[in-house]
Amino acid sequence: MNSFDIELVSVSKSFAGIPVVQDLNLQIPRGEFVSILGPSGCGKTTTLNMIAGFNTPSAGDVRVRGKSQNRIPPERRNLGLVFQNYALFPHMTVAENVGFGLRMRGTPKAEIGKAVDAALRSVRLDGFGSRFPKALSGGQQQRVALARAIAPKPSVLLLDEPLSNLDLKLREAMRIELKEIQEQLDMTFVYVTHDQEEAMAMSDRIVVMWQGAIAQQGQPGSIYRNPATRFVADFVGRSNILSVRRSIPGPTFLELCIDGTQIVLRSDCAGNNAVQSCCIRPESIALLNGSDSGTGLQNRLDGVVRRIVNLGAHVELLVEVATGLSLTVLVPSSRSSLVPELASTVTLGIDPQDVQVLSD
Amino acid sequence: MNRVLTCLFWLAIALVLTFITLPLAVVVAASLSPSSAVTFLPWEWTTVWYGDLLADRWLQPFLLSVKIATVVAGISGVLGVLAAYAVVYERIPGSTAIMAGLLSPLSVPQIVKGVAIVLFLSIIGLQGVLGTPALIAAHVVLALPFVTRMAATSLANFDGNLDRAAQSLGATKRQRLQHIVLPMIKPGVLSGVTFAFIISFNNIPLSVFLVRPGDTTLPIAVINYLEYSLDPVMAAVNVASMVFILAVIFLFEKVGGFSAQLHGGSK
Repeated sequence: MNSFDIELVSVSKSFAGIPVVQDLNLQIPRGEFVSILGPSGCGKTTTLNMIAGFNTPSAGDVRVRGKSQNRIPPERRNLGLVFQNYALFPHMTVAENVGFGLRMRGTPKAEIGKAVDAALRSVRLDGFGSRFPKALSGGQQQRVALARAIAPKPSVLLLDEPLSNLDLKLREAMRIELKEIQEQLDMTFVYVTHDQEEAMAMSDRIVVMWQGAIAQQGQPGSIYRNPATRFVADFVGRSNILSVRRSIPGPTFLELCIDGTQIVLRSDCAGNNAVQSCCIRPESIALLNGSDSGTGLQNRLDGVVRRIVNLGAHVELLVEVATGLSLTVLVPSSRSSLVPELASTVTLGIDPQDVQVLSD
Repeated sequence: MNRVLTCLFWLAIALVLTFITLPLAVVVAASLSPSSAVTFLPWEWTTVWYGDLLADRWLQPFLLSVKIATVVAGISGVLGVLAAYAVVYERIPGSTAIMAGLLSPLSVPQIVKGVAIVLFLSIIGLQGVLGTPALIAAHVVLALPFVTRMAATSLANFDGNLDRAAQSLGATKRQRLQHIVLPMIKPGVLSGVTFAFIISFNNIPLSVFLVRPGDTTLPIAVINYLEYSLDPVMAAVNVASMVFILAVIFLFEKVGGFSAQLHGGSK
């Protein structure tokens, strides 16, 4: 028996000759929370629609639990779907909305009632059954939509930017709730979003899409720590991305000559002499005071503070380390005594393991 | 300054409303006139003229008009929804051209249409259908653009995600039409059907060519009567049909709630 709930096998889709998704291969194991993350126009919604059946792949195969879905219409795929705009049926009560899927299948009334109650309980909306969607807040409406999608017990739940219409506080609370519901139901979730924080917070695995293809996939932490490409480094979290003129593999370190400067950075990464760029996360750059010489292994750069931006939890510094090259450095506010003055000279320390080599 | 503008604004509205309703008020007053000459004496009035309304002379045309308007509303409602469904929902090939074709009767003057229909029927040898069948057919042609347009607008405003949501929940196309699409466009369709009913009930320019002598619709009976006399009975007939139309609008509003369209389509 196949343990993948969803498999995309060399799936491509083009609209009017313009390729939107190209040769996509993706396997989603049962019970996993997978986020498809990417900027708008990267093909993530098209991918979701192909899984749901609203778009037919131009080539390739979509399989649900090992079965090819290409000839199966959306209504017979048994997948739940949650939309950004909730898409609740305005002429039905909450209970009628949630019971709709079962009603269409001809489930007996008593059973529907039980399933509706259970679904509403799992989204903590018990007692709301007789209300109309219009009378609910955005967050409540989205939870009704979730209950409606899970009530018929689909094999997979597809979520298309479900939190984007909510305000920030609610969005953050709903992230945790969604994850809890997913774990409770032990259901496969495929979550499409352009919000990398959202994807980070909930996913077991993130699939970063760009220009119709998978740029990188992996656990949230590993994607953040080891972005593979310039695009991923830039899109997921914040990065200092530096162009590399030349790279020299050494016995312990890879030495990277930064384009347009005399700077040479050491990196822990394995690499060859074709490396074109590298990235350094702003929070992994340390401010060294004069007395703290750091270890000999560290990369040390002198620079001038050009800008200081207070972000609340962090202070962001823009440090010019060479003409035309500035690095963004994040210092936790709790260590604000370390924050130098504007235009002062500072020394930055970068551990070679934080210098990440990118493939393009 | 602002206050002056506000005053002028409300004054303009009041004038427009007066302009629209005053003739109606005059008709109401005339129907209560105490003498058979149409006069208006607010301190002296009678409802005696309304008694005449139940005479066959008015009752028969009224019943015929109601019958025709009901059938026209029904037929154009069904056809309009089907047309809008094909054009907007299914987007069949050539849908823009079809829509334009369906709306084209609007651009032909009714008199011209009336003459054309009579000529057409006599050329193909169907003079026999003049009277009720011809009236129904002609009124459907007249009313269809309104119903189609209303249904098409409702369908165009219909959120496709509702359809997709229902589909992902396992609803077949027939179930989606029955449970989602039709209920969602119902207010628009019912307002179109109300239009169709009123258009048919009030129609003169087309009907005048198509009625059979002795078997006329109410507006034609009124026209015929007006040729020979102008008395309070006339006014009473008009008041009665006005009240009837208002009642019909009220009824459809109660059933379909097209005002609900303004706030999101639910009950």
